[in-house]
Amino acid sequence: MERLRTRWIIFLGLAAVVVISYTMNLPFKTSASPATEKAYKYIETLPESSVVIISFDHEASSLPEIQPIALAMLRHVFRKNLRVIGLSLFAEGTAIGYEMLNRTAGECNRNYGRDYVFLGFKPQYISAILGLGESIRRVFPEDYPGNKTDTLAIMRNIDTYDSVRMVISIADGDRTMQWIEYAGARYNQKVMAGLTAAMITSYDPYLSSGQLFAVVGGLRGAAEYELLYGRRAAGNRGMLAQSGAHAYVIALIIIGNIIFFRSRRRKREG
Amino acid sequence: MRTKIPLLVCLVFGIMMFGQYFSAHPIAKAVYNNILEWWQIIFAFTLLVGVASFARNSLRNISQRKEPIHRSIALAGLLVMPVLALIGGTKTGSPFLWSFQNMLAPMQSTVFSLLAFFVASASYRGFRARTIPATILLVTALIVLIGRIPLAELISQSFPKITFWVQDYPSMAARRAILIGIGLGSMTTALRVILGIERTYLRGE
Amino acid sequence: MVPVVLLVLVLRESVCAAQIEGQSPGWFNTDTTATLVFSFISLVIVLYAILSVRSGRRFKIREIPGLKAVDEAIGRATEMGAPILYTPGWGGDIQRPTTIASMNILSSVAERTAEYDCRLIYPTHDPVIMAVAQEVVKEGYAKAGYPDRFKPDDIFYISSSQFGYAAAVDGIISRIKPASIFLLGTFEAESLIMAETGNSIGSIQIAGTDSTIQLAFFIVACDYTLIGEELFAASGYLSQNESTLASVKAQDMIKILIALFIIAAMIWATIRPLSTWWKF
Repeated sequence: MERLRTRWIIFLGLAAVVVISYTMNLPFKTSASPATEKAYKYIETLPESSVVIISFDHEASSLPEIQPIALAMLRHVFRKNLRVIGLSLFAEGTAIGYEMLNRTAGECNRNYGRDYVFLGFKPQYISAILGLGESIRRVFPEDYPGNKTDTLAIMRNIDTYDSVRMVISIADGDRTMQWIEYAGARYNQKVMAGLTAAMITSYDPYLSSGQLFAVVGGLRGAAEYELLYGRRAAGNRGMLAQSGAHAYVIALIIIGNIIFFRSRRRKREG
Repeated sequence: MRTKIPLLVCLVFGIMMFGQYFSAHPIAKAVYNNILEWWQIIFAFTLLVGVASFARNSLRNISQRKEPIHRSIALAGLLVMPVLALIGGTKTGSPFLWSFQNMLAPMQSTVFSLLAFFVASASYRGFRARTIPATILLVTALIVLIGRIPLAELISQSFPKITFWVQDYPSMAARRAILIGIGLGSMTTALRVILGIERTYLRGE
Repeated sequence: MVPVVLLVLVLRESVCAAQIEGQSPGWFNTDTTATLVFSFISLVIVLYAILSVRSGRRFKIREIPGLKAVDEAIGRATEMGAPILYTPGWGGDIQRPTTIASMNILSSVAERTAEYDCRLIYPTHDPVIMAVAQEVVKEGYAKAGYPDRFKPDDIFYISSSQFGYAAAVDGIISRIKPASIFLLGTFEAESLIMAETGNSIGSIQIAGTDSTIQLAFFIVACDYTLIGEELFAASGYLSQNESTLASVKAQDMIKILIALFIIAAMIWATIRPLSTWWKF
């Protein structure tokens, strides 16, 4: 009963901290991490009309964390006049990715078929990633709305990773690892990632070895990217709540240890 | 015969897929592309197995009056969504996409958000300075937790650097060692499967 | 006959496709030389270990606390009259070595639960894993001598959606209150949700995964955790199958080679920072 009550107090406390934080509107100033800066600088220095593949490899559940990252990167990519091939290796990411792509392309007046395309979802992600290295048209003979890939202006002269400058995997799991292990290792394709905070540390070994070019991680990564891009959005708005939650967990750990030491001393004295 | 044929198929195709990785010949590439396409087709059929299993289990539980309301709602979801997709399509503004964005996505996000609460309760319970290694773990966890929020820069400009150092060196070293072990374990398991020593996937042998 | 037919079909189509492409041949891709050499060395070591075992040599694996606790967990469930829940996680499919390793442990657990007449519940996110698990558990029950105790309905498919699966498993844990929970396989963010729910009802939990992040969650929330390749060693440990034990030993030998290589490369890179022979 005691355990259950403690659990409820912890949960209610966290809920209160997050809800109160979201009612306040305090802009957060934060410096960009080296990984986010590297991602931003690379896209910033790409020549116009370079082709990037953006893969929406995430589920709807991580949308609150992933969407700010995806929107910030998409806006940057379209602002730089890069050409975007969108696709999804997760069924749920398909509709979400298509909507985000259209939304950000519309903001920058980009044309579907000429400046960007969304190829849709392909199951069996490993075979899809490997197949793109042989022929994008073979893996995706039609795009998501149903047009023949051959007929799209953007796909002229583009059929393999050779024509693609970067793959950006927006993921909440290990799909990015498959991009690194198959597209990166086999076809030397540069891979960048937008990840949830929980997954960042999984990719640290790949980041430090250079197999993963750069990563924009979590809500903080989104806030950093928005700062570099110059437009505050959902990432920045969520930083107060995230900081509050972190501070709450730190306080819980300290309180837990105080209680632990006091009960240990009482046992020794008793 | 029932086990010999699958073992032989596994051996032949395992060796073929292993061999094609090292070859640049067009025949090897074509074999590889072919097998990738077959893989996609097989996967599509496995989805049907899942749907059939789910429907069968739900109907059986409903007929036995085991949580009939919950099972009925789940079954209705399974049936209604494809019907919506077939009738109205899956593009922006369709009933399917509306259901996805306003029902499925929030439900999934809600369950995901439970993780935050469970991390809080697990941290409260788990990070106790019981022993010296536990104390080191506690101090490291506090450094990383503080370093990941803007508050760290208010304490000291060097704080985030310490956090990144902890993540990039001691933590990374341990993770790499575990990853090497996992990689080797995966490799030997795959080798055992290809050579037919490991047959659990067949029928529990 | 069947593999030959399949092989002919694949090769025939592939040869036609290659002729249409009309590229000039190159059988060996020299960029993959290092991978081939390492693969060959690993294969030789594994085969050497397996052949050593067949000629009489015996290998032993050290005690793994998590696997030693399997009997304790099953015994606890039997005494309490509560079921055992076994989940392979959401992150993997049947082709993943971690899932195969999990199936091996499932086989041993199934045999023991059959002996003790303890209910084994196995919810899964993948229909192929469900089909294989049904066969594995059925075989385990048959091996233990109690084929009539096997209940196929206790091994079922829930959902391929990550949090749909996690929510369903959490619901099962909360309602059925299993005495023991096995979390063995590939997990992603749903790991802590399941582990904490199991912890909240007081179950004994044995976990193991190939994800270094989820391992951290399991170590905090579970009673026993199989770290890294302990999950792969489990197959040999529980079954005491000689060939499997041999391959686990082969893993150790390869790891020693890798460690020696890392030390050599580290020393060489320190003495000659501009050298690149060890980079590939």
